[in-house]
Amino acid sequence: MRSVSFCLCVCALVLVTRNIFAFDLWPAEYSLEETYVGEATVARGPHRVSDFDESDTVLRYILTPRVSLGVLRLGFEYEQFSFGFDSAPLPETLQSVAAVVGIDTQLSDSILLRIEATPGVYSEQFKAGTTLFNMPFVIGGTYIYSPDVQFVLGIGVDVERKYTVLPGGGIRWRFQPQWVLDAVAPTPRLEYEWSKSLTLYVGGNFKETNFRVSDTFGTDSGIPKLNHAVLTYSEVRAGAGFDWKITRWLSLNAEAGYQPYRNFDFYRANIRYHQQSGAPYGMLALHGAF
Amino acid sequence: MRLIILPVALWAVTTISASADPVSELASFSVFDKIDPAQLAKNDVKTAHGPPMSNPRFLSVQSVFVMSGSPAQNLDTLRKWNPVQHGEPKVFLHGDLPASPTESAFAKLKSAPNNAPVRALVNATSKMSNDLQLSKDEAARWKGGDAALSAAGGDFWIGVLTGRARGFASGGTSALPPYDHAGSAVRAGDEINGLLRAQPKIQKQFSGLLDNTGLGRGAGSLKPDLYWELVNADNVAVLSLGASYSRDSGGNAQAVDAFYYSSGGYYATLTLYQMWPVNVNGQSSTLVWRGDMVSSASLAELHGVEKLGSESAMMKEVAKSIARFRSGR
Repeated sequence: MRSVSFCLCVCALVLVTRNIFAFDLWPAEYSLEETYVGEATVARGPHRVSDFDESDTVLRYILTPRVSLGVLRLGFEYEQFSFGFDSAPLPETLQSVAAVVGIDTQLSDSILLRIEATPGVYSEQFKAGTTLFNMPFVIGGTYIYSPDVQFVLGIGVDVERKYTVLPGGGIRWRFQPQWVLDAVAPTPRLEYEWSKSLTLYVGGNFKETNFRVSDTFGTDSGIPKLNHAVLTYSEVRAGAGFDWKITRWLSLNAEAGYQPYRNFDFYRANIRYHQQSGAPYGMLALHGAF
Repeated sequence: MRLIILPVALWAVTTISASADPVSELASFSVFDKIDPAQLAKNDVKTAHGPPMSNPRFLSVQSVFVMSGSPAQNLDTLRKWNPVQHGEPKVFLHGDLPASPTESAFAKLKSAPNNAPVRALVNATSKMSNDLQLSKDEAARWKGGDAALSAAGGDFWIGVLTGRARGFASGGTSALPPYDHAGSAVRAGDEINGLLRAQPKIQKQFSGLLDNTGLGRGAGSLKPDLYWELVNADNVAVLSLGASYSRDSGGNAQAVDAFYYSSGGYYATLTLYQMWPVNVNGQSSTLVWRGDMVSSASLAELHGVEKLGSESAMMKEVAKSIARFRSGR
C-alpha cells in the first residue's frame, strides 16, 4: 500500500502543479504506473523460488521547458519492484529514486538527439543517507526520414551492468493513416488509432535495471559473497492494451498480457535465478503532458 | 501572386530599409545571426526552428537561401508559382480566384481525386464531424446526401469557400466567421495576429507590408492575389483559402502568403519572404529569408520531443518546398 499512497501523493502534486504554474512556463510530462504480475517461479539449479507475485510501481515527473538548444528534461523518477517471496535469497524489494537530467535537441532538420542521465540511488531498499549511487545514461538519435517514418539509434551506458554499453534502436513507421509500427525498444508496439482519443495496441516491454543490495544481504541470505552485490533484474512483458486520452493532459493506459521472461542476475557473483514459469500481468497507468 | 504596383506615397510609410546591409538586416529580425551569401549559394537551403512561442498552437520555421536573379525576378516567379504544376505532392488541387470570387471559380473541386485523404474529408463531411472547421451557420447548411466532392458534398464546400473568399475580399479576416461549429470560437485573424505578436522582430520587419493587407484586420489597401487549394494535411484532405501580397521597392522585396481559412488541420498559416539583392561571384542574385508559421489545434497536443519532431518535420517539408521552387525557376 505504501506505493499506492505515494502514487496518490504524486498525483496530487501533478494536479497542484498544473494549477499553480502556467503551462507555457512549466511544461511537464508525468506518469504513474502500477503493474501486478501473478505468481511465477524462478530457479537456480535445484534451488526454486516458487509462487511469488510482483508489484511494479513507476512514478515519473519531468519538467520540459523549451530553451534555445532544445527541450530540457529535468525531474525525477521512482520505481519499486516488490516481490512476494516467502523465503528466498533474493531481495523482496528493489527501488530506484533518481533525478532525470537531459535534453532533447535538433542537430539538423532530420536528426533529433536525446542525452539523458538518471543519477540516483538504485538499491535493495532505499534508506536515507545511502551511498548506493549510480548514474546510467542514454544517448540516442532519431532520424526523421519523413513525417511517417523515423529511425532510432542509441546507446545506453551503465557502469553497473554486465555490458557497460548496450546499443539499441528501431523504427517508427505510420504505414497506414491509423496504423503505427513503433518498433523501438524498450517498448515496441503495433498501434491502431481507433479514434483521436483512443489507441489500441499490442506490444512488449523490456525492463532491465541494476540495483546494489545491502552490505549484509549476502550474510542474511546465507551467501556472504552477495553482500553489497550488484543485481541485474530484467523482465519481459508481452500484452495488449489501450491508451485513452481523457483530457488534453490526462490519459489512462491499461494493459494485460503475459510475462514470459524474468531473470535475477548477480552476475559478478555468478548467481542467477532464471524464470521457470511465467505469469499473467495487468497494468494501469495515468500519464500526460502539459 | 501578382506584382502590386503601389502609389509612391505609400512607399513613404512602408519603405523597406534598402540601404541596410542584407546580412545585418537579416540578423536583426531572424534567427540567422551570421550568413555568408557566397557560402550559402553553394548549399541548398539553411533552415532553423523559429523562436519559442508561448502559445502551444504555434510553430515557426525560418529558412534562408540564395537564388540567382534579382529580387524582382524571384518575386515574379513566386507570384506565378503553381504548386500542383511543380509536383508539390501535398497539394491535390490549386485554383486562382478573381477579386470577386464566384462559385464557378471552385468548379475544379467537383473533379477532385478519389484518394484516401479525400475520402477522409468526404467521410467527415457526411458526419459533419467536429474535426471540420466551420461556423455554426455554415455547418447548418449541410442537409445530408451524398458527401462526395463530385456530388452534394462538393456543392456544400463550394458554398462555404465562396462565402469565405468573398468575405475576405471585402473585409479581410475581420469579416470571416469564426470556427465555432464544434467548440469554442477560433478566428483565423486572431491566430495570424497571435503568430506575429509572438515574433515581434518579424512583425516589425514586415509591418509596412502587413499593415496594408487584410490579414488579421479588415480589408487593407493592398489588393491580394486570392486562391484556393485542396491539400493533404496529415492524411486528411483539407480545403484552404489563401491570399498573397507582395511589394517590390526596386531593390528589396517582401511578400506574404497566408491561408486564412482551412476546413481542418490548421487554423491559419503565414509565410513571409524578405528578398535582398546580393552579388555572388559577380552574378546578380537574391538572398531570401522565408518564415513559415502555423497555428494548429493539433500542435497544442504535442509536448517536448514530439514538438521538436514536428518542427523537424516542418523544416524538412519547407526545405523540400524551397528546393522545388529553386529548381523550378
